[in-house]
Amino acid sequence: MEKLSPQQVAMLHKHLIHSGSNDALVDELLDHLACDVEYYMWIGLPFESAMQAVLDQANVTAVRHLRDHYQTELAMTDDQLRQASLDDIVFEFRNKAYGAYDLRRAYRITLRNAFIMALSLCMMLMAMMDGISRRTWSYLSPWGAVWLIGLSGLTYAVVSWYLHRTQEQKLTIRQPLSDPA
Amino acid sequence: MDTSSNEFLRGTLKTIVLKLLAEQPATGEAKSRPGRMYGYEITQAVKERTKGEITLSFGALYPVLHKLEQEGLLITETEEVDGRLRKYYSLTPTGNKAAEQKVSDFERFMEAMRTLLLTPPQLATGH
Repeated sequence: MEKLSPQQVAMLHKHLIHSGSNDALVDELLDHLACDVEYYMWIGLPFESAMQAVLDQANVTAVRHLRDHYQTELAMTDDQLRQASLDDIVFEFRNKAYGAYDLRRAYRITLRNAFIMALSLCMMLMAMMDGISRRTWSYLSPWGAVWLIGLSGLTYAVVSWYLHRTQEQKLTIRQPLSDPA
Repeated sequence: MDTSSNEFLRGTLKTIVLKLLAEQPATGEAKSRPGRMYGYEITQAVKERTKGEITLSFGALYPVLHKLEQEGLLITETEEVDGRLRKYYSLTPTGNKAAEQKVSDFERFMEAMRTLLLTPPQLATGH
């Protein structure tokens, strides 16, 4: 049985994207339609007519209808909806693996860490400049205290960022492993 | 025929999918992995068995497959075949039980329908 070339598959992919297929379905639909084209070619149609037959069958109306039907069928239940964050709702049926979902979910923590880090560095810089201009240094002076607060703030932000990152990696490593189980 | 058969099909799609997957022979070492099928394969199997009487459209099939996966009756594996991603479905243990249950329920329903259709009118309405 003759197989479609990558270019021919790309044509189908473009058609699906233009017809408004959603991220949760597009790869599967692509394989389905490609199999269909290959079947038509196998029974003797030339590529162009096989492609046309499949595209007529998977026209904009059919693909849109599938998407809408899919979204009502697989919508979150009331329980899930109560627990879902705004990001979960926005990213439902969309490609979460792409990265934007993770970025948005980590946004609060990232912002907090960045804020603490900036403040701490600023405090440390001020304390250091004061120390340089006076040419004396004591941890017990007010500027010494500012330095220490800045240093602990910085440590906290870095440790928190690191822990978050390792946790995230563990999650992404575990997911593909548990999939085929 | 076409619209009404679609109407009948809607209620039985889950049963069809579960039944087909349950019939797939187990693969792998010691038959440990349940048989698997991909979407297009399912539509072709249905078409072939019913001699074209029932054709599943992709629009009807994939929502059902994803719904069954969400309910925990199916699990999926994605593999690259001929440069495309192909998603294979197979039954989980719960899915196996659900398949048996659904098929036997459906058989009972069909039996009831058959008696209903065969009952002569005078008996059906007589008191």
